[in-house]
Amino acid sequence: MKNTIKNIAALFLIFIFSGSLANAQGWTVPNSAKKKQNPYEATSKNVSTGKKIYNLHCKSCHGDPTMANMLPLAPVAPTDLGAQNFLVQSDGEIYYKVNKGQGAMPTFEKTISDEDKWMVIAFLRSFDKNKKVKQQVAEVKNPEVTDVKLELNVNEADKTLLAKLSGITKKGKRVGLQGIEMSFLVKRSFGYLDVSGEDPYTNEKGDVAVQFPADLPGDREGQVNMIVKVTDDAFYGKLEEARVVTLGVPTDPVNPLDERAMWGTRANAPIWIIVTFVGGVLAIWSVIFLVLFQMIKLPKLAKSKD
Amino acid sequence: MKEETSNNSRRKFLKSFGISVGAAGVVSSFSLIGAAKAATKKPAEMVNLLTQDGQLVQVDKNQLRPTVNEPLDELQKRGREGIPGKSFVMVIDLSKCRNARKCMSACQNHHQLRADQHHINVLQMQDAEHTAPYFMPKPCQHCDNPPCTKVCPVDATFKRQDGIVLIDNERCIGCRFCIAACPYSARIFQWTEPKDAEKYKDLTYNIEANVPQKKGTVSKCLFSADRLREDKLPSCVSACPNGVYYFGDRNEDAVTNGTTGETVRFSKLIEENAGYTLMEELGTKPRVYYLPPKNRAFEFNGDLLNEENLH
Repeated sequence: MKNTIKNIAALFLIFIFSGSLANAQGWTVPNSAKKKQNPYEATSKNVSTGKKIYNLHCKSCHGDPTMANMLPLAPVAPTDLGAQNFLVQSDGEIYYKVNKGQGAMPTFEKTISDEDKWMVIAFLRSFDKNKKVKQQVAEVKNPEVTDVKLELNVNEADKTLLAKLSGITKKGKRVGLQGIEMSFLVKRSFGYLDVSGEDPYTNEKGDVAVQFPADLPGDREGQVNMIVKVTDDAFYGKLEEARVVTLGVPTDPVNPLDERAMWGTRANAPIWIIVTFVGGVLAIWSVIFLVLFQMIKLPKLAKSKD
Repeated sequence: MKEETSNNSRRKFLKSFGISVGAAGVVSSFSLIGAAKAATKKPAEMVNLLTQDGQLVQVDKNQLRPTVNEPLDELQKRGREGIPGKSFVMVIDLSKCRNARKCMSACQNHHQLRADQHHINVLQMQDAEHTAPYFMPKPCQHCDNPPCTKVCPVDATFKRQDGIVLIDNERCIGCRFCIAACPYSARIFQWTEPKDAEKYKDLTYNIEANVPQKKGTVSKCLFSADRLREDKLPSCVSACPNGVYYFGDRNEDAVTNGTTGETVRFSKLIEENAGYTLMEELGTKPRVYYLPPKNRAFEFNGDLLNEENLH
């Protein structure tokens, strides 16, 4: 009888234990952490910043929110962070998990700033069907426009780029579009370097000016390939302007093989090696020839002595 | 008398010339007839093909021949020359590495290596008794003053203009001087028949990938020079799930992260994170830079074969 009770107890324990294992995603968050609220408002600027940070630090494993295209990792695949069953959590819970990490999920406590983490949470909240109300509406509203144009002016003297975004209203007037984020990208070998700076949003005239970095290398003539585009295609479709600009620092690529060095090619051996080697060979051969000549001379010498 | 001989020789020349031209004509007309016959035999099956300049053409199926492999000489020549104007560098962020070993398996796949052969290896490091241990991926450092190329007696290992140190297995005699000279133990020797030797025996040797591997020669990391030619990141860099690797061109002062695709300034990355190189006191001037394991993304889990580390 005792044994059966023991067995049942053991089974029960195993059951509970295995339950907690299977429920590995059941990630306990302390109550104090749950109560934290996102101190940043869900403005379109913050959401767009959050999207950028998400694409850098989260997308490689979690995929795009709501698309469920995460990495198929075993034993626990990353969660779709746009799914409603994830977003039922409070801001504080998500913040805690991002900070602490678990298993294959890194700890982002020190790798990204608090502000950036909250921006990501603001971005994820934009997929939340229940909390749409919280979206701030205090943003600028652009009139409905057609024929949206992106113009790019390059000032080579002070290395600035001026982009202008405009569209034609229903009344047929061309107006600037305000508060739209632009990306200024410089082509490099394996990707695009973002030189947009801190605040690449268009002003009330639809203008945005960006200072090109003073020390960024270009090719021999200082030319670089640039792409200027509206960051989010959702506004006006894909709008971009590619241009070759002469804003980089002219750079002459150095060929390391031009240098005379021990590790280099045969043709570029250091002078001292060539001199000592050729000198050594010449010296040895001249000694041999000297000896030979002396030996030829010997019989003659003997004759003359006779 | 003199004129006669010269006339003779001219006549002889003309005669032989005529015969040879005639013969050539006969032969060529035969071959033309042959070709025409072949063409009229089965005109039914035509195949649509795309030419190299993008034109769609129709070709008789009878005329199709298998493509000639990229000739060895061409591969060898461009492999020696390298990519002009580039200066490749790698940055390894130790704070992100959790020993997932995806870089190693991607590399072994690319270069046809067995699981125990490493062009890149993730090491468990502990510098001193009371320092914190960390994981360190270690590929070839592609030194700017490489000790290995200095000692090669047959010019098999060499440095190219884009900074990559390569090895030509067609020239290598297997003396292993370079293995002895390398302070980073970056080179391996093919003691036995390489993996899948039978499968790849007809493949043209590609100096930029060291494939197919050759028994009795030395092999090492090549920064995936064949992929760089197509503007692709090296295998290890793009395989990393944790954003450890940055790779790029020092001439452009930009490196790109293989995981996130983010491109950053090389000089800023090194400056802001106190980047360093391995054994700089030897004067080898490595092209692989390390960022110290500060503010780690993962807690160190010392067990190398821990299941949790391996996904």
